[in-house]
Amino acid sequence: MTVLPDLLAGLEFSTLPQQLVNGILLGAIYALIALGYTMVYGVLKLINFAHGEVFMLGAYTALFTSWSFGFTQAGNKQDSSPGILILMLIVSMTVCGIVGVLIERFAYRPMRSQPRIASLITAIGISLLLQYGGQLFLPSSPPPSISDKVNPFKGNIEIPLKPADSALLAQAEQLKAKVTRTKAAYDEQLKSEKDSFNLSPVGKELRTASQDAERDYRNAIDKANKDALVITFPQGQVIMLVTTVVLMIILTWLVMKTTAGRAMRAASLDFDAASLMGINVNTVIAFTFFIGSALAGAGAMMNASFLGGTKIDTFFGMLPGVKAFVAAVLGGIGNIPGAVLGGILMGLAETMVIWAGYGNYKDAIAFIVLIVVLLVKPGGLLGSNKVEKV
Amino acid sequence: MKFWGVRLASILGAVAFCFLLEGVAQGQSSFVQRLFVLAGLYVTLAVSLNLINGITGQFSIGHAAFYQVGAYTAGFCASRFFAQLNLPPAAWLLLMMITSAITAGLAGLLVGLPSLRLKGDYLAIVTLGFGEIIRIFAQNQEALGGAYGLTVAPKIQYVWAAWLLAILCIAVCRNLLRTAHGLPFLAVREDEIASSAMGVNVTQTKVVAFVLGSMFAGAAGAILAHFESFVSPPMFTMDVSFTIVTMVVLGGTGSITGSVLAAILLFYLPEKMRDFTNIPLSGVAAAFVAISAAVFAIRWVMQNFHGTAKDRAIRYLGIVVGALVIWFISKALLGNVPSLKENIDGSKLRMVVFSVTLVVLMLLRPQGMLGHHEFSWDWVRSKFGKPTVKEATA
Amino acid sequence: MSLLQLDQATIKFGGLIAVNSVSFELKKGDLFGLIGPNGAGKTTCFNLITGVYKPTSGKITFDGKEIGGTPANKIANLGIARTFQNIRLFKSLSVLENVVVGGFLRHKTPLISALAYLPNVIKETESLKAEAMELLKIVNLDKVADVRSADLSYGMQRRLEIARAMATQPKLLLLDEPAAGMNPQEKEELNAMVKHIRDEVGLTVLLIEHDMRFVMSLCERIVVLDAGKEIAAGPPDAIRSDPKVIAAYLGEAV
Repeated sequence: MTVLPDLLAGLEFSTLPQQLVNGILLGAIYALIALGYTMVYGVLKLINFAHGEVFMLGAYTALFTSWSFGFTQAGNKQDSSPGILILMLIVSMTVCGIVGVLIERFAYRPMRSQPRIASLITAIGISLLLQYGGQLFLPSSPPPSISDKVNPFKGNIEIPLKPADSALLAQAEQLKAKVTRTKAAYDEQLKSEKDSFNLSPVGKELRTASQDAERDYRNAIDKANKDALVITFPQGQVIMLVTTVVLMIILTWLVMKTTAGRAMRAASLDFDAASLMGINVNTVIAFTFFIGSALAGAGAMMNASFLGGTKIDTFFGMLPGVKAFVAAVLGGIGNIPGAVLGGILMGLAETMVIWAGYGNYKDAIAFIVLIVVLLVKPGGLLGSNKVEKV
Repeated sequence: MKFWGVRLASILGAVAFCFLLEGVAQGQSSFVQRLFVLAGLYVTLAVSLNLINGITGQFSIGHAAFYQVGAYTAGFCASRFFAQLNLPPAAWLLLMMITSAITAGLAGLLVGLPSLRLKGDYLAIVTLGFGEIIRIFAQNQEALGGAYGLTVAPKIQYVWAAWLLAILCIAVCRNLLRTAHGLPFLAVREDEIASSAMGVNVTQTKVVAFVLGSMFAGAAGAILAHFESFVSPPMFTMDVSFTIVTMVVLGGTGSITGSVLAAILLFYLPEKMRDFTNIPLSGVAAAFVAISAAVFAIRWVMQNFHGTAKDRAIRYLGIVVGALVIWFISKALLGNVPSLKENIDGSKLRMVVFSVTLVVLMLLRPQGMLGHHEFSWDWVRSKFGKPTVKEATA
Repeated sequence: MSLLQLDQATIKFGGLIAVNSVSFELKKGDLFGLIGPNGAGKTTCFNLITGVYKPTSGKITFDGKEIGGTPANKIANLGIARTFQNIRLFKSLSVLENVVVGGFLRHKTPLISALAYLPNVIKETESLKAEAMELLKIVNLDKVADVRSADLSYGMQRRLEIARAMATQPKLLLLDEPAAGMNPQEKEELNAMVKHIRDEVGLTVLLIEHDMRFVMSLCERIVVLDAGKEIAAGPPDAIRSDPKVIAAYLGEAV
C-alpha cells in the first residue's frame, strides 16, 4: 500500500502521548454508555437503540439542574463547588435511571413475546421519538451548553514526560531580563508620548528594542521546548476519569456481591431457567435498565460539564450512542468488563484517527470497527460464540 | 395466446397510467409535481426493501445507502459523459437507471455477502453501518462534490419514469411470488435450517434478495438525481432509511400491496402537514398524552376482553372518544405551561409522526396494515359476490 | 449395495463428545432404526449426515461419495432428505407450498424467467404443484392443501414434514421421531405409510424413535446409541434381548 509511507510521514509523534491520554478520557465516557447496552443485551438479548437518547436526556437534566442553581447564560453566579457537581451527577443518574425503566416497562415489555425484530423496530421508534419529539419541547436551537462556571476545578495538570533542555532554558531565562528592561524603558517613554501610533524617533526605537527582545525570548523558549513533552489535561477531566472508575467499581460490587447482581447474571445466562428458579425477571430487568441508564446519565453529565462548551441538542446522543454500542460489541456484547475495554479502545481509535489526520472519518471508524468485528469475531474480544441447537 | 394478449394489455395499461399521471402532474405546480415523483420513488424504495425484509425475512435498515449509490452514480456519469454522448433525455435517463441499478446492485452484493452470516439485530446494525460508511465516504470525496454535493445536469423531470419504475418493481416482486421461484425466499424467512435441508442455498437466496432490492433502489436514485438536479449527503441520512423501514412495517412486511399503500400514505401525510403552520405545542403534548392513554386502553381490550366482535368494536369506539376528550382537557391544562405556549410548523412534525406510527404499530398491530395479505382480483370478485377462481374450479 | 456408511464418525462440542466413533452401514432399501436414551446423540448423528454439523473426525460416505462437512443444501441435492425432531415447517406457508419448496430443488428454469413471468416458468410451477399434490395424497393431506401449515394438528404436521422431505425425491429418507405425539391409530397409519414408501417408492429409510413397539414392528435392523457410543446393532429380536440395551434404556416392555 503506497499510502502507508505518506501516512507515516504525516504523523506528529510528539503529540502522540497527549492524544493517547485524550483517547482514554473519551473512552471512559464511551465505556459508561457501553455498559448500559451490554447489560441490557445480556439479560434481554435486545439492542436498546434508545440508549443514546437516555444519554441525551442526561445531558439536558444536568443542564436544567445547573440552571436551577443559577448558572444560566444571563446569570451572574460565580462560585461553584464539588457539592453542586455531585448533586448534578446524582440528579442526572436518577432521572436517566427512571427514564430507562419507563421505556422498558411501556415499550419493550409488551414486545417480549414478539420476534426480536419487533423489539428492535420499537427501540428505533422510541429513539426517533425522543430525538424529534424532544426537539419540539427542549431548547435546542441554538443548542445550549452548560456554563463553564459550573466546574470549580479550573487549571490543568501537567505531566512532563520529557523536560525541556535545561541549558537552552537557562539561555532563554537570561534573555528574559533584557525583555523586562526594554519593556520598562518603552513604557516609560510612552508616558511622555502624545500619540502611541505616531511615535517620536526615540519612541519608535525603544518600541523596536522591546519587541525584538520579546521575540528573541520567545524563540529561545520555543527552541528549548521543541523536544520537550508535556501532557496536559484539565483537572475537570481527571475528576471525570476518577468518577468513572469509582462508578465502575461500584457496579462490579453490585453485580458480583449482591443478590440483585447475582439475579441479573443468572437471567443473562438463561432467562427461562432464572424465572423458573423464582427470580422475578421483571424486577431484574427493571434493575438492569435502571443501572445501565444511570451510568449513561453519569457519562452525559460529566461529558456536558467538563468538556466545556459541549453543545446539547436532542441529537446529541446519537453518535456517542452508536459508538458506545460498537464498543460493547467490540468487547463482547453481554460482557461487562468487555464493555469497559471496548469503550477505551473505541476512544483510542477515534483519537488516533484524528491524530493521523483523518478527522473527517472519525465517525466512520466506529462503523468500520463494528463491521470488522461482526464479520471476524462476532463474539467480540472477551465474548463467546454459542452454537444454535437443531 | 390469450396469455400474451393479457400481458400486452396490462403492460400497455401500465404505461398509459404512467403517462396519464404525467399529464395530470404537468398541469400542477412544481411542488405538486415533486410530490408525484417522490411518491413514486418511495413506492419503489418500500417495495424493494420489502423484498429483502418482508419476503426474505432479513433485516436491512440501511436501504438509503443503495438509493445514494444510484443517485451519485447518475450524478457522476452525467457530469462526465452526458455532454459527449448527447442522447435524448429519456434515453439518457433510462441508461442512467440501468447503470445505477448495476452499481447499486454491486453495493448490495458488497453489503450482503459478508453480512449474511449474521442474524436479526446484528444484521440490522451492520446494514445501518454500511449505509453510514458509504455516506461519510461520499461526503469526503471531492470528485463527488464533498459535503456540499454534486450538481446534476441535465435536469430531467419525468413523472412517468418514477411511476414506471415503481410498477416494474411491483411487477417483478409479484411475478417472483406467483411462481415457485418465490418460495425459497419465503422459506428462508420462515426457517433457514429447514430450507437448507430441502436443498435451498440459503446464502445465495439472501444475496439475490439483497442485490435485487438494491438494484431497484439504485435505479430510483438515478431518477432522483436528475429530478432534483442535485445530490448531496444530507439527502441520504439514516432518517431516510428509517422512513422506508417505517413504510414497510406499516404496510405489513411481506405484503407488496401494503408497502405501496403505506409508502403513499406515509409520504403524503407529512407533506399535507406542512400546510398547517401555527400548531400549538400544547396541542402536540396533549396528543402524546391522549395517544398513550388510547394505546394502553386498546392493548388492555385486546388482551383481556373476550366478548363478541361487536362489543369489542364498541369498546374501541369508546376508547377513541375517550382519547379525544383527554386531548381536549390536556390541551387546555397544558396550555397554561409557559414553554408550551408557542406554535410550531407542521413540517417539524414529520419524523415525530413516523416515530409515533412505528411505536404504536408495534404495540397494537405488529403485522402492519395488511400482514401477509396481498391484493388480488379474487378478493375483488369475492366482494362483488362473484365466485372466486377457487370456487369456480372446485 | 451400500448406500450410507458411517465410519468412526465423531463430533466434539468443546469437551463433550456427542457422537463417539459411531460406525454403521445402510444398504439400499433398508428400513433402519436408530434408538437410544435421551441425549444419546441420535439427532446429532442425523445432523452429521445431513451436513448441519461437520464431523470432528471419521468418514461419512453416501452413494460412494464422502459427504462429511458438505453443506446441508448440497447434501439434499445429493439425495438425502430429513424431518426434524421439533417440527420445522414453514409456518406461514400453506401445506401445498411447504411441499413445493421440497420439490423446488429439481427446478430447471432460471430466476430471470420467473421475474419476467415467462410461460415456461408458469408451466414448471404448475407441474411442481401437481407433483406436490400427488405426495399430499400419499400422506392423506390433499384435502387441506391450502390450509396454513401452522394451523394443522400435530399429527398432520408430522405427515406434512414427511411429504415435504419426499418432494426432494431423495434416495435416503431420515425421519427424526416421526411418531412423537401421535395416538395409536395414527402410529399404525404412519407404520403402514413408511412401509409403503419403502416398498412402492423405493426409498431407503433411517429413523429415530422412542416408541419401542413402533420401532420393533417397523425396522428391519437397529443400531443402539448410548452417550454417543454404539452399544448394540442387529435385528429387532437381538436388540430386544440384549442386556446392554436393556440396561441403558429400561424402556417400555416390548
